[in-house]
Amino acid sequence: MNTSLRNLTIKSFHDGLVKKKFSALEIAKEFFKRIASTNEDIGAYLSLNEERALSDAEALDFAIGEGEKIGLLAGVPLAIKDNILIKGLPATAASKILEHYRASYDASVITKLKNERAVFLGKTNMDEFAMGSSTENSAFKIAKNPHDRTRVPGGSSGGSAVAVASNLAVAALGSDTFGSIREPSSFCGVVGLKPTYGAVSRSGLIAMASSMDQIGPITKTVEDAAILFRAIAGKDRLDATSVETESENFENAHQDELRSLTIGLPEEYFVGGLSKEVSSEIDQVIEKFKALKFVFKKISLPHTKYAIPTYYLSMPAEVSSNLARFDGIRYARNLKLSAEGGSASGGKTENLKLEEIYLKQRGAGFGPEVKRRIILGTFVLSSGYYDAYYEKAQRARALIKQDFDEAFADVDVILSPVAPTPAFKIGEKIDDPLAMYLSDVFTGPTNLAGLPAISIPTKPSSMLAPKELPVGFQLIGKHFREADILGLGQLYEEIK
Amino acid sequence: MFIDTIETKMASPITKETIQHLAKLARLELTPNEEKQMLADLSKILAYFDELQTLDTSRVRPMTGGTTLKNVFREDTAAGETNRGAGVNAFPESKDGFLKIPPVFSAEGGSLPGRQAGASGEETT
Repeated sequence: MNTSLRNLTIKSFHDGLVKKKFSALEIAKEFFKRIASTNEDIGAYLSLNEERALSDAEALDFAIGEGEKIGLLAGVPLAIKDNILIKGLPATAASKILEHYRASYDASVITKLKNERAVFLGKTNMDEFAMGSSTENSAFKIAKNPHDRTRVPGGSSGGSAVAVASNLAVAALGSDTFGSIREPSSFCGVVGLKPTYGAVSRSGLIAMASSMDQIGPITKTVEDAAILFRAIAGKDRLDATSVETESENFENAHQDELRSLTIGLPEEYFVGGLSKEVSSEIDQVIEKFKALKFVFKKISLPHTKYAIPTYYLSMPAEVSSNLARFDGIRYARNLKLSAEGGSASGGKTENLKLEEIYLKQRGAGFGPEVKRRIILGTFVLSSGYYDAYYEKAQRARALIKQDFDEAFADVDVILSPVAPTPAFKIGEKIDDPLAMYLSDVFTGPTNLAGLPAISIPTKPSSMLAPKELPVGFQLIGKHFREADILGLGQLYEEIK
Repeated sequence: MFIDTIETKMASPITKETIQHLAKLARLELTPNEEKQMLADLSKILAYFDELQTLDTSRVRPMTGGTTLKNVFREDTAAGETNRGAGVNAFPESKDGFLKIPPVFSAEGGSLPGRQAGASGEETT
């Protein structure tokens, strides 16, 4: 078989499968071979699903041989972020506290993809509990940027972005709470979509900040992102915040309505702090859209500078509640410790014993950034500080959303950078939490406002100069208008 | 002074004792080194939140969801299949499908002696 995994997209995989250029099993085997030789160094996967993936692929090939009609995602080898549950497989969220955990049910997105007969290659590396912007907070291994292995792939969905960028999967799922799909996509030169809050079910996603978390696709092309998004979107009775999205043909970029969209440029996103590389790339993107006769308008999102403090007050509060369930008993870091605690005999100290289990298991099971956020969240929710911090942030969040509401009265789509810089060096920001937080300054506001946004490489990886790092641009759409940003993204991909 | 309105409470920066208290509330065991680091990091992060102070938020209502959510109603009917029991295999110790833990209350409080008194929690809670 001479099929290169390099340019294999969901679309080209499907075409090849239907035309019998290859079988699903052959491709799956080829991926595992490649993973075996490269994953140890690049750190994309935390665990593999080889046995089941191969048998699923084989079963699909058999069904095709029997004449069964298949959908676009049938047999497509996917990488899944390790905070999304696949029944029977590990779901560590890159945390030691979940080292021994095996998922007892499928996330709703996984159920949908199983119905499409997609193939899951494995679970990908990430920042612990999705907390971070570089994947350096993984408790298990460092992930490296395929374009320069001394640099981070971004985070927190770093492993998923690396898997797609280095051809260790055709496409992947990530999750995005403040930029965790889009920033690594920008750093690795792939496409990443953060859907509207509520567009995709969160059931079976290990919760970080529930009011902002969304699952979304990381792919090689915008068309693939559209295909994968359509497969996972929709109302789910297991997530009360999910909503039915209009069933649109996201893959069709040739709609006249697209041409009439007005694009907004937020002045607050094009000021100090933006690196020269990013700035000149974004200018070229704007020029290309202008050449297509798109109308641009300057807009203002005046509360942008409050987005990071607002997030770092709201999110830890949700984190401290969501991570309380990791009690060190049901989810044990040290199984022996739990068992010993459980075997303690009677007496007055027993109350303490239980508390000791919590303290020790959680103390040893969570990494520094997770602890920082739990403590900060406990602080902002505590009596006396709640109004000053947590409620203040909730009000600021309303103002940030209002900015977007007002801007979207004038424009249909907003164009901006994804991150202020290309990928930074491994170790560069890990000791400075605030510097790390600033990586999310352009992506985070859309999570606070619940809007859909996509990161698209400014140019294909094949057109990067030697040593040049990939950069992504961001398109932000109105609520539930994924069709607009996916459509514009596909138009862009066609012109370059 | 982080926020003007509650100056008295906020005037003193976060202390080592605050960190220790919060860690206890959050059920996190911290080493002395971790406490020191946490104090340094949190003081810096909280100072960064000063920026919000300058913002007038009196005319908006707090936003708690990702979008402006509305109540969703449905018929209160049994949904059939649940996942009950699926997590039991992962428990370090279990009895009759319940998680076994050390007693929550002391024996003097009237509960049964020994580990049998372990308050059982359903795995789904």
